Amino acid sequence: MRTWLRHQLGALQSALTRLAAQPVAALLTALAMGVAISLPAGLYLALDNLGRLAGSLPAQPEISLFLDPAAPPGARQAIEARLKRPDIAHARLVGRDEALAALAAAQDLGDVVAGLPENPLPDAWIVQPQDTSRAALARLARALGKLPGVSEARLDSAWAERLAALIAIGHTVVWLLAALFAVALAAIAGNAIRAQVLARRDEIQVSRLIGATDRHIRRPFLYLGAIQGLLGGLAAAGVLSIAGWVLQEPVARLAGLYGSTFHLAPPGLPELAVVLGLPAVFGWLGAWTSVARSLRQVEPPR
Amino acid sequence: MIQFSQVTKRYPGGHEALADVDLVIEKGELVFLTGHSGAGKSTLLKLIAAIERPTRGVVTVSGQNVGRLPQRAIPYLRRNIGLVFQDHKLLFDRNAIENVVLPLDIAGVDRRESLKRARAVLDKVGLLAREKANPISLSGGEQQRLCIARALVSRPALLLADEPTGNLDAGYAADIMAMFRDFHQVGTTLVIATHDERAITALGGRTLHLDHGRVGEAA
Repeated sequence: MRTWLRHQLGALQSALTRLAAQPVAALLTALAMGVAISLPAGLYLALDNLGRLAGSLPAQPEISLFLDPAAPPGARQAIEARLKRPDIAHARLVGRDEALAALAAAQDLGDVVAGLPENPLPDAWIVQPQDTSRAALARLARALGKLPGVSEARLDSAWAERLAALIAIGHTVVWLLAALFAVALAAIAGNAIRAQVLARRDEIQVSRLIGATDRHIRRPFLYLGAIQGLLGGLAAAGVLSIAGWVLQEPVARLAGLYGSTFHLAPPGLPELAVVLGLPAVFGWLGAWTSVARSLRQVEPPR
Repeated sequence: MIQFSQVTKRYPGGHEALADVDLVIEKGELVFLTGHSGAGKSTLLKLIAAIERPTRGVVTVSGQNVGRLPQRAIPYLRRNIGLVFQDHKLLFDRNAIENVVLPLDIAGVDRRESLKRARAVLDKVGLLAREKANPISLSGGEQQRLCIARALVSRPALLLADEPTGNLDAGYAADIMAMFRDFHQVGTTLVIATHDERAITALGGRTLHLDHGRVGEAA
């Protein structure tokens, strides 16, 4: 155990020494990684903020239930009874006369309304469901639409749904980008490590001749890859915080124009951990593949 | 300690470096390998240290069939063998004592203990005063002694030396051979490939003469 720890510490120290020996190269690699990471990470943050914006809007999803004017009173009572069930948070009957008056007042259509020979509007229930998830809303709207005496059930969350669909596409794009850039990350790290391995050819050969296991030879390079990835993650965090800082004010101004207090939220701890940890993992993986390949080149297996 | 039976080594391209070699080297023996260059001396040493595998036949070191050793077991075999190279194979990115410490680092020996042992062995080869020097600043003879120090620091039971005095003038060569005699006297098994006839006569010991990959016992 102590020997193991000593090996790990030795490898870590060796990796840090190697990194410190070429600070410019390490910095450039970290920067390349940082830019690569900040693209998907930045998009993720933008979507996260957009999602938060959509969720914070006051518009509570509603289902408008238009009643068939010809429906018998029994059907109307059945509908009312249905709307008392616990999956409905709140239901309000808007009579056709009330609706017409509201329309006339709200849209400044008094003259038009006055000119109508008769009230074209049906009676309607405005229903606020308990469960406002999209799937549940759609299910409830469908179920209510099939009740006898209901001519139409309209979900008033169409725009919210479209936004949610857009955000979902955005998330897919983030994952695609993240996957692509993870590969790029591993490649960048692997390339940096390959250069290191080739520069240390002699040391590797001599170490092998005096009894170093491949694991012992590999270890400092793996640490190097992970640290390089971590530095890339830090660079990405830097890029993102600069972008956030630059965007903060314009976004606040735009939000102000809409009378909203919306502001950009910085990434939380879990997101930060991902931005730092994932590149470290991929740096390590890139180092692994690169070292395995380079070790074969330095001394092919017999 | 070392046994070759019917060992043939043919390199890719067809060159036969060793042909049907049979030999036994006992524990504690001092053996010289002689023969013109290309006679197979280096190949024989490489087979012992599992740097090469035999094409045919069996090489046994301390009871282990070295040719059949799985790749992952080879490092542990080599930790019991000290290797001295004609070209020293020192690392110029670190000072003398760090070169000597390397095998102990690899074996996971405690750092303080490693440095203590490295100083002891540097003292033995007469380089203690140069422990902080970069090997590149050392003379050929000093570099060779440093290489020997690195080979000995893990106290191997077996020392293999390939032309250890090949590039050195007579005075240095005699020093180094004297050093080998000391190790032999404390029980280390030594196999030394060399051209240096004077050293052989000075040290005594057994001589195996290689000629076109075949071994003959010289008087």
